[in-house]
Amino acid sequence: MREYKIVVLGSGGVGKSALTVQFVQCIFVEKYDPTIEDSYRKQVEVDGQQCMLEILDTAGTEQFTAMRDLYMKNGQGFVLVYSITAQSTFNDLQDLREQILRVKDTDDVPMVLVGNKCDLEEERVVGKELGKSLANQFNCAFMETSAKAKVNVNDIFYDLVRQINKKSPEKKQKKPKKSLCVLL
Amino acid sequence: MLTIGALANVKHILQKELFSVSDERLLSVVTVTKTFKKKDKRACYLCVVTTTPITVPVVSLCLVKQSEQRENEYKRKRSWALDEIKWVDGRNDQLETHEFDIQLEKLYKWYALHPHERQNFLAVLNRQIQKNVRGQRAEFRNIPSAWLSEKSPEKIAAGRTGDAALKAQQTDGEESEEEAQEFTALTDREATELGKLFSECDFAIKDAEQFIEQLSKELHDLDGANIQSVLASEQKVLKMMEHIDNAINEADKFETRLDSYEDILGHVKETMEKIGGKNAMIEIANNNNIKLMKELEKVITQLDLPHKQQQALEDPDFKTEAGIKAAIAAAQCLQQAMNSDIDSALLRLEAVQDQRKRFEKWKQKFSIFISRYMNNMFIHIGNEIGDLPLTSNELVLPNHSNVHQSLAPYTELMHWTKAMDNKTYAGLMRVYTASLCKIYDRDLRNFFNLAKMQVSDKLRSSREDLDASTTSRKAAVSTVPYGTLGVNRDQWGPGVDSADRVRFDALLEKVLAELEPIALQEQLFCINFFQMDVISPTTKNTQTTLEVMEKSVDMSQSFTAASPSTDGPFPQKRIDRQINEDVRNLMMGLFDCLEPELVIFIKSFERVDSFYSLYVLVRLTQHVMSAQDTHSFLSMTFASTLVQVKRNFDSFMKQQMQSIKESKLPKRSKAGILPYVENFENFAQTAEGIFRKSDRRTDMERWYLQLVNAIFETISEQSHEHPKTPHQVVRMENYHHMYSLLAQLKVRGLDGLKKEAKVRYNDALKAYVTHYFGRPLEKLNLFFEGVQQKVAQGVKETEISYQMAYSKQELRKVISQYPAREVKKGLENLYKKVEKHLCEEENLLQVVWHAMQEEFIAQYNYLEERIQKCYAGAMINLEFNIQDILTFFSDIARSH
Ligand SMILES: Nc1nc2c(ncn2[C@@H]2O[C@H](COP(=O)(O)OP(=O)(O)OP(=O)(O)O)[C@@H](O)[C@H]2O)c(=O)[nH]1
Ligand SMILES: [Mg+2]
Repeated sequence: MREYKIVVLGSGGVGKSALTVQFVQCIFVEKYDPTIEDSYRKQVEVDGQQCMLEILDTAGTEQFTAMRDLYMKNGQGFVLVYSITAQSTFNDLQDLREQILRVKDTDDVPMVLVGNKCDLEEERVVGKELGKSLANQFNCAFMETSAKAKVNVNDIFYDLVRQINKKSPEKKQKKPKKSLCVLL
Repeated sequence: MLTIGALANVKHILQKELFSVSDERLLSVVTVTKTFKKKDKRACYLCVVTTTPITVPVVSLCLVKQSEQRENEYKRKRSWALDEIKWVDGRNDQLETHEFDIQLEKLYKWYALHPHERQNFLAVLNRQIQKNVRGQRAEFRNIPSAWLSEKSPEKIAAGRTGDAALKAQQTDGEESEEEAQEFTALTDREATELGKLFSECDFAIKDAEQFIEQLSKELHDLDGANIQSVLASEQKVLKMMEHIDNAINEADKFETRLDSYEDILGHVKETMEKIGGKNAMIEIANNNNIKLMKELEKVITQLDLPHKQQQALEDPDFKTEAGIKAAIAAAQCLQQAMNSDIDSALLRLEAVQDQRKRFEKWKQKFSIFISRYMNNMFIHIGNEIGDLPLTSNELVLPNHSNVHQSLAPYTELMHWTKAMDNKTYAGLMRVYTASLCKIYDRDLRNFFNLAKMQVSDKLRSSREDLDASTTSRKAAVSTVPYGTLGVNRDQWGPGVDSADRVRFDALLEKVLAELEPIALQEQLFCINFFQMDVISPTTKNTQTTLEVMEKSVDMSQSFTAASPSTDGPFPQKRIDRQINEDVRNLMMGLFDCLEPELVIFIKSFERVDSFYSLYVLVRLTQHVMSAQDTHSFLSMTFASTLVQVKRNFDSFMKQQMQSIKESKLPKRSKAGILPYVENFENFAQTAEGIFRKSDRRTDMERWYLQLVNAIFETISEQSHEHPKTPHQVVRMENYHHMYSLLAQLKVRGLDGLKKEAKVRYNDALKAYVTHYFGRPLEKLNLFFEGVQQKVAQGVKETEISYQMAYSKQELRKVISQYPAREVKKGLENLYKKVEKHLCEEENLLQVVWHAMQEEFIAQYNYLEERIQKCYAGAMINLEFNIQDILTFFSDIARSH
């Protein structure tokens, strides 16, 4: 089964953990506990293919920014999350994206831009159009989600899997011919 | 001649409609159009007008237009004084020319509709100018000179034709301007005279002939008288003429005098004018000189560096306080002078450039002094403190505020270097970092060594305890980490108790608490000393305003460099980030070994205590999350370490999960409480002790859930594997254990699993009782099952006893097979069996026994009820009653 290394990035409190836990365990975490680093594994079927997602939920808190380079180096696909209720979390993504491109040294990195907490429409400060135009600029997929109301949560990860598939189709694994490893 | 009439008409109308109103008199008029305005064919009238001479007549040129709305309304468009006329150009001498130009405040080009009007107009204009304008008079070009002579053209024309009638006609029509000047309305006196004349000859109206006759007669008389008086006065006239001649001679003399005076005056005037011009020039020159002086003075004061300061720069004394002060003052003056606000044009002055070169030399020289001095100082400090023997064995990080104090006086010199000589500044920063890094390196290594020693000391002492108490060397060598859930505790390697953990935690806290103030102090010092809170404007080696260069361009470049490309909404944020990063990099250089040492130190716990990651996670989190300065070097170093610890924590938990799944049933006669179930108690208590009040509870609870689920799963799987203990017992005992443990833990997140443990335990208990107690009165049970079948077929319960197989005799026979003694014996055997199944630790024997008693009573009651229903009145009973049963059970329980 193919493995997909997915990294969830974004400022503190935007709902990275809530989205991840909702996707993996189908629970909404009400309480806010700043993440240090959590990794999850979940098997899903995307377009008839079994995939093993290895999701790294990262810390949005500023102290941990030094870790990001490493996350970006190891990740294959990235979820960039902001909260539609906080402008600054939206502004922070520009730098994150630049850092990813720099670390990956390519313009073509599987990525989804996510505006979370769309159930809090009355507290919205970042318009949907703004999100769309940023996604346009990033040349990546965009969706508004709610971990609480279970809106578009699975789609984030499915879309990312498809993007990774498209960018690097699985190499037809050659049947290990007779002796792949030789014990001496 | 129609045109003349028309013009006369126009002249008349204009006089009447326009000029009479303002007491003016029209001298000449020409009908014109503007040649440059071909479209506007409406005629204008250019007039020469004079005021009626009350005092002095004022003659002016005046443009009149016919109103657009009404035919007979005219408007004065513009007026010019005659001396406003610079020149008049007739274009050429041809008579039939229409055009002519007049230079006034601008050039007017006119087209006269009628050449003769033009001729008249130009002549009149010329004459009036000659007469009225003093000083510079308008020049008349390209105009026939005859027109400009005294005689008006009409007079010439009239003279030529000799037509007196026309001449007479001219008096009220086309008259010359002189006549016009004399033309006045009848004075009052003349009017009365005339009136009187008419009234004396009131017959004249009746008899004109008579009147004419009388008039001519009177005229004749008058003529005669006149001639006589003329003749009489000839003598007088001659005398008068003589007088006049004399007067004229005198006047001539006087005139020549006046002329000579005028000449003199004219000369004086010219001289005066020349002097005036010269004066103005002198004043301008003077002003310019003053300005130049001011400018120069400004430049000079700005660029002047007093001798004392030059000396301070050339031979600075950094050893004494006064010397430093003087050097700083001089350096700042130099900086100010080099950055003085001087016009870029002035910068091209050679003197300024020379001064700049001098400044540059001073700057370089001084910079070298500072560089050399500070360099030595930094290295000296590094060596001096580096050579100091480490004083104590106490776990304290030395404080270097004395270093900071000794450097503080040079702070402004560093700022100067930063502004004036970036290269030197950067170099000094490197030397500082290298020197201080050496000190901190030594301090930190020593500090962490001490800390590690305290850990291993504890380790040794606890090992000794262990060795003394158990004397099992084997355990000490075991590779199974202490506390591994899936492995029986006697196979664990060495570990520590909770008191040790408290001590380790305190040690870690001490280490972190020692690091924080030292790092903060150094950071503050560096920010101030190296002025790191100000972003240096240029990447190149600084620049002063004295350099002739497009500095604005440079500035903007450096600005864009600071805030790149995108329309970043918060440039200040970017600047802050840049500053933070610079500071962090410097701190990273200074505390080079902090992170690796901290990681090694934390690792040292790992060797002693497999649970270390739990409390290190909690402790470190407190320091990372409570940090004020979230992007400081220390916060980020701690945070990176914390991520490592979190990973260790997760992998520790994963190992625990794995050990549960891989655990093996203990090889003993009873399965009993499985190792991971037993160990979980200790594990959970340890974890709760650490996480109870922590923010990181969530991390732990996440694992609790997974671990307990894994435990449940593994219990169920392994329950079938024991050769002797029935699976119901394995489940019953272990779920019971889990249930009581979870109830005691009171972790809210585990409430659901607690309930599940209870359900599973009860299910297992029920299954066990059902299976092993079975039906001790089996034959009776079978008998009544047959009865029930008959009943189901339609036999009435009261009539069952008439059935052969279910007669009263048959029942009695079956009952007799279960005498009380036999029953009790059977129960005793069962008790022994149960006792063999159950383990002592969980102590469920009495619970199971009680459950069996309940079961027996239930079965007994059922049978009794059936007997009463189907064999009522037959007086059939079992050979023992409920009381007997209770006595059996309690007797058996008591006897074991
Ligand atoms: N209403 C609403 N609240 C949400 C949603 N997603 C997350 N939250 C809440 O937002 C808070 C922060 O969510 P987290 O998922 O912990 O945030 P995070 O991005 O993981 O934060 P860090 O781990 O500090 O980086 C929590 O209180 C969540 O309950 C959402 O879709 N709607
Ligand atoms: Mg989180």
